[in-house]
Amino acid sequence: MTLFAVTRLELRRLFVRPFGWVIAALALAELGWRFALLLQFFLLSQVQLASIPDGPGYTDIVLIPLLSSFALPFALIELALLIVPLLTMSSLASERAAGTLPLLFASGLSATRILVGKYLAVLVWLALWLVLALAIPVSLAHGATLDWGKLAAATLGTFLALAVLAAIGLACSAFAQHAAVAAVAALIISLTLYCINLGAQRAGVDNGFINWLAMSTHQDNLMHGVVSSADIAWFLLAIAVALALGIRRLASDRERG
Amino acid sequence: MSNLSLQLEAGQVLGLLGVNGAGKSTTLAMIAGALTPDSGVIRIQGNDFLEHPELARSAIGWLPEGAPLWPELTVREHLLAHGRLRGLKGANLNQACDAIIQKLELNDLQRRLAGVLSQGQRQRLGLACALLHRPALLVLDEPANALDPVQVVALRNLLRELAANGTAVILSTHQLTEVTAVCDRVAILHEGRLRHDAPLHADQHEVLEKTFFDIAMAGRAQAA
Repeated sequence: MTLFAVTRLELRRLFVRPFGWVIAALALAELGWRFALLLQFFLLSQVQLASIPDGPGYTDIVLIPLLSSFALPFALIELALLIVPLLTMSSLASERAAGTLPLLFASGLSATRILVGKYLAVLVWLALWLVLALAIPVSLAHGATLDWGKLAAATLGTFLALAVLAAIGLACSAFAQHAAVAAVAALIISLTLYCINLGAQRAGVDNGFINWLAMSTHQDNLMHGVVSSADIAWFLLAIAVALALGIRRLASDRERG
Repeated sequence: MSNLSLQLEAGQVLGLLGVNGAGKSTTLAMIAGALTPDSGVIRIQGNDFLEHPELARSAIGWLPEGAPLWPELTVREHLLAHGRLRGLKGANLNQACDAIIQKLELNDLQRRLAGVLSQGQRQRLGLACALLHRPALLVLDEPANALDPVQVVALRNLLRELAANGTAVILSTHQLTEVTAVCDRVAILHEGRLRHDAPLHADQHEVLEKTFFDIAMAGRAQAA
């Protein structure tokens, strides 16, 4: 399938560029440091925690905050707000600038296949990054009691959030003429979507719609182990809207030249 | 471009001439499937490929002006990526890559990144990508740009060989000598209209030059 030919081409481009590796390595180093801090806190408070019936364990104190938490900057998802736009910025904007986008069109591929092919490549890269990040706390699984169900829900929530950020990044790259513009636009949109409810709450507005609109609302449920089809549907809807906009822009490129 | 009408037979080499802005590159991009026309029909081997864009994949090879490449891929990776995009896979893909690397003398460049190639090497790689899947129609936009004289002669020989094997070629260029050297037919495009379309013989360089300048100058006089 030529869809996978695009995925393979994009993956190759992602893996041979040092930029992707450098930001992944820096992010993993930061997450390692964060893990050390969280683990130290967990070890120091173990006695107190043991006295609390159904109190938080290793998963709640170390693993989940490693993925997402505003209490101690920066968790994986907060890093992703910056990293994903940098990763996706050149997916289409630089193809347009280098004149290689028409080569993809000329191979008979529809705009949908081109964009979805590239999206799958970014998802593979992000999934690898997530697996490496999770390997840090899971490596202590033999010496700690892991709540595997909660870990699965949190992993799903984090991956879905990464998938939304990737779709937004690709859509911005499809619209922008320059990669830097795509990165800035994706960063602003992602940040807004992630925490639009926090700003509203600080301004004294606690609106149901604004809470529903915010990605953090849906992600928080999954991070607490609550897997709801309504939350998953929100993520899928956000991905579909972003990809549809990107596809529309790409199709108009083929029409206008 | 507005009202072009062209028909090309297998084995013909058509030279498409025109001043800057005449619509040559736009025409070629449409034929290659990179640009969708607002109206009109493009048929290849009897099939309307606006309705079946996947036909372009196997039937057309395109070298755009400037030979755009992915700078982070090596020469061989480029060929593999193009082959996969055109539906080649497995042993067929590797054989096609090896064959075109031999044919266009890219052996020494196989592991080199496209981003560090000279313009002449880029042109050769772009041509290799266009020829990899043995297309029935080869669309070349300024293929001799940045090639040295030896490479220009090699390109001419290659085009003659392809035509002898039944490949139709459309060659857009600013160089009239290129057209008289390899083309057996010439079309002159001016402001989107086909002003001249006739067979061409090797000894007709001066006639072609006069026709080209007459059309170009008449267009300028009209505009003035």
